[in-house]
Amino acid sequence: MTLNRRTFLATGAAATATLGAPMILKAQPAEYVLGASLPLTGPFATAGQLVAPAFALAQKLFNDEGGIAGTPIRFVTEDSGYVPQNTLANYQRALATEGSALVGYFADSTGAMKLIAPELKGENARLMGSTSFASELANPETNPYQYISGPTYQDQFDILLQNIKAAGGSKVAFIYSNTEFGRDPLEHGRAKAAELGIEIVLEEATKPQGADVPTHVTKLAQSGAEHCILQGYVTGVWPQLIGGARQFGLPVQFHGTFWGMEKLIADRITAEAGPFLAGYQGIMPYRYFYDRADAPRYEQYAALSKVMFAGTPLENYMSTWAIQTMCGLELAMKALRDTAQAGLELTADNVAESLSGIENWDSGGFFGGPVSMVNNKIGTGRVYEYSPETKLFTPVSDWLST
Amino acid sequence: MINGNLKASYGADERVLNNRNKQMFVYGCLLLLALFPLFADDYAILMACKMGILLIAVVGVNVLTGYTGLVSLGHGAFVAIGAYATVVLSNLFTALPEGVLPFVVVPCAVAISALVGIVVGLPSLRVKGLYLAVATLAASFIVNFLIEQELFAPWTGGVVGINTPVPNLLGWELDTKREMYGLITVLAVLTLLGTQNLFRTRVGRAFIAIRDRDYSAEILGISLLRYKLMSFAISAAFCGLSGALFAYFYARILPEQFELDLSLELVAALIVGGMGRTMGPVFGVFIVLIVPELIKISMGFATGGDLEMQRYTAPVQEIVFGLILVFFLLKEPLGINQITDRILRSANRWPFARG
Repeated sequence: MTLNRRTFLATGAAATATLGAPMILKAQPAEYVLGASLPLTGPFATAGQLVAPAFALAQKLFNDEGGIAGTPIRFVTEDSGYVPQNTLANYQRALATEGSALVGYFADSTGAMKLIAPELKGENARLMGSTSFASELANPETNPYQYISGPTYQDQFDILLQNIKAAGGSKVAFIYSNTEFGRDPLEHGRAKAAELGIEIVLEEATKPQGADVPTHVTKLAQSGAEHCILQGYVTGVWPQLIGGARQFGLPVQFHGTFWGMEKLIADRITAEAGPFLAGYQGIMPYRYFYDRADAPRYEQYAALSKVMFAGTPLENYMSTWAIQTMCGLELAMKALRDTAQAGLELTADNVAESLSGIENWDSGGFFGGPVSMVNNKIGTGRVYEYSPETKLFTPVSDWLST
Repeated sequence: MINGNLKASYGADERVLNNRNKQMFVYGCLLLLALFPLFADDYAILMACKMGILLIAVVGVNVLTGYTGLVSLGHGAFVAIGAYATVVLSNLFTALPEGVLPFVVVPCAVAISALVGIVVGLPSLRVKGLYLAVATLAASFIVNFLIEQELFAPWTGGVVGINTPVPNLLGWELDTKREMYGLITVLAVLTLLGTQNLFRTRVGRAFIAIRDRDYSAEILGISLLRYKLMSFAISAAFCGLSGALFAYFYARILPEQFELDLSLELVAALIVGGMGRTMGPVFGVFIVLIVPELIKISMGFATGGDLEMQRYTAPVQEIVFGLILVFFLLKEPLGINQITDRILRSANRWPFARG
C-alpha cells in the first residue's frame, strides 16, 4: 500500500478511533473537571498566589452542594508564568488528559484568552472564563465560549464617567499604561465623554511600571484636569503618580478600574508611603469581602475560609482578585448546572447557551441585585472610595449599569 | 569485524551519516517523527510543533553564534519580523489565490528578516562579544517598539496583537495542529539538513574561520564584511522562517510573545544543546521546552493534583529547571551534543576503548 495523504489520514483516524474508543464509551464521567492556569510564578505571581486558594475553596463548596447534578467536580490548576503560550499548552494538556470530563477552563490573561479563542472549536471547545475584562472578548458572535465575569473595561470607564458627570466634573484626564490593558477602553472612553459633555484635557501613555513621573505630573498640572482616570496598572503608579501629584499640591480626583482596587495593596502602600491615597476612587464590579450584610454567598465563603485557611491572612479576607475568580467559577457552575438540569449533555455549545441565557441571577451578594449576562458579560459596578484611616474602600455611588 | 570509522573512499569521508550508529539514530528519529501523529494526542502535537518552530530559530542562532562566533541577544526580533511580515503580507496580497499565498508570503517574510539581519549585523564589523550582544539587544527592543506603535497598528495590530491567516498550500488548508505538524517537521528537518551542508561549503568554512580567529581569516582572504553580514542574513532568515511558521501555527500573534525572553530562550537552548553542532539545537530545544513540562507533570503526580500544593510546587519547578540547566552546563560545558557524541562514539568502537 502506498502511503499518500488520504491513506495517511485514514490510518491516523483509525488509530485515533481505536485509542479513543474507551473514552467515548465512558459517557458519564465519575467526576467533572474544571481546569485553570494561574500566574503562580512570573510578574503576576502575587496575584496568582492570592487567587490559588479560591479554587480549593470553590471545589469544597461546590462539591458539598452536590457538584453538577450529583457528579462531583475537581479543579486542576497549573502555573502559566503569565505566558499566553503556556496557558494554551496547559489547556491542550488538560483536554488530552481529561477528555470529555473537562467541562470548563479558567485562563489567566487577555493574551491567553485571545490566543486560545480560535482553538475553541468542535471537540476542543470548552466554556472559558478568565481574569480578563477585555472589551474585545465580550462578543458572543466571535467568542461564543468565552465570558467575562463582570463589566468590560469599556463598561468600567462608562460607569466612572457617569459618576464623574453626576459629581459635576467636566474636565478629565486619561493616564494609561502603554499596553493592551491600558489602551483597551480609550476609544470608547472618548466617545462616552463626548456624549456626556465631559472634556478630555489630557491623554497620557506611560510605562506600566517605573513611569517617568515628574513629566506626567507636570502635564497633569498643566492640563487643569479635575478628574484623572488611571487604566492599565495593578499598583505601579499609585505611589509615584498619585503621591507625586499630592506633593505638587494638585487637587485632582484620581480614579481607577478593577485591577487598581485591591485593599491589601492600598493598605500596604499607605503603611509604606503615607496616606496619599485618601479620596482615591475606583470602580469595583463586586462587593468587597468585608461588606457581607446582604451577601449570603460571601458568608458561606467566610465560614469556609475560617476552617480552610485558619492561621493565614486569608482566614478573614478574600482579595478582590479572588472574588473575581469566584464569580467566574460561580457563573460557570450555574451554566453547567442549568445545562445538566435541562437534561442536556455538557457540551461547550449547550453550556455556552445556558450561560448566555442567565437572566436575573441572584448571585448571593457579588452584585447589588439580580444580574443578567448580556453579550457574555455583566455590565454593572459601583464606585468606591479608599480611606487610609479606616483602611477600607466604601461605596460612594449606587450600583450603576451600562 | 569493522569498528570505528573506516573510510575507504572520499565519498565515505564526505558522508554526513558516516557510520551505522549515526544512520540508525537519524533514520530512527525520522521514522519516529513520521509516525508521531498516529499515536500522539493534541497536546503532544502542540509541544512537537512548538519544538519544531523554536528549533528552526535556534538553528538560525547556531549559524551566527555557534559557527561564526558572533553573539546575539536579539534574535527574537527576527522571529517577530518573520511572523508579522507573514501576517501583513498575507493581508496585503489578497488579490493572490489563497493556495499560492504562502509560497509568496513566506519567502518574502524570510527575505525581509534577512535584510533586517544585515542591517542589525553592521555593528559586528566594529564590535564583538558582549558589545555586539548589547547592539543586537538594542535592535530587538527597537523592533518590538515599532510593532507596538499606534502608527503601524492598522498593519500589526499594535499592542493588542493581530489574528493570523490559515496557511493554504495549493488548496490544502492546514487548519489543524496535526496538519501544521507535517509542515513544521518537514521544514525543521530541511533546515537542519541545510545547515549541516552549509558547513561543508566554502561559505560555511569561512564562517568557522571567522569564529576561530577573525584576523587570521582576513589574512587568508576571507572578507569579514561579506561573510559576517552573510552569516547575519542566513541566521535572521532562519529566524524569519520560524516566525512565519509561528504566525501560521498560532491563531493570533501578540508583541509580548517576541520580547527579550524569546531571545534568551534561543541562546539558552543553543548553549545547553551544544554550540556549533548540527544536533545541538535539537537537544537544546528538547531541554528548554520539554523538561519544564515533564517537571510540571511529575510534580502534578507527586502532589496528586492537590490545589494548595500547586502554589508551592510552581516556583519549585522553576528552581528545579534552573538547577538542571546548571547541572548540564557543569557536567558538559560543550552541551548535550557532546554527551550523545560520546555515546555514539562508544557504540561505534564497541567492544574497544570508548575514546
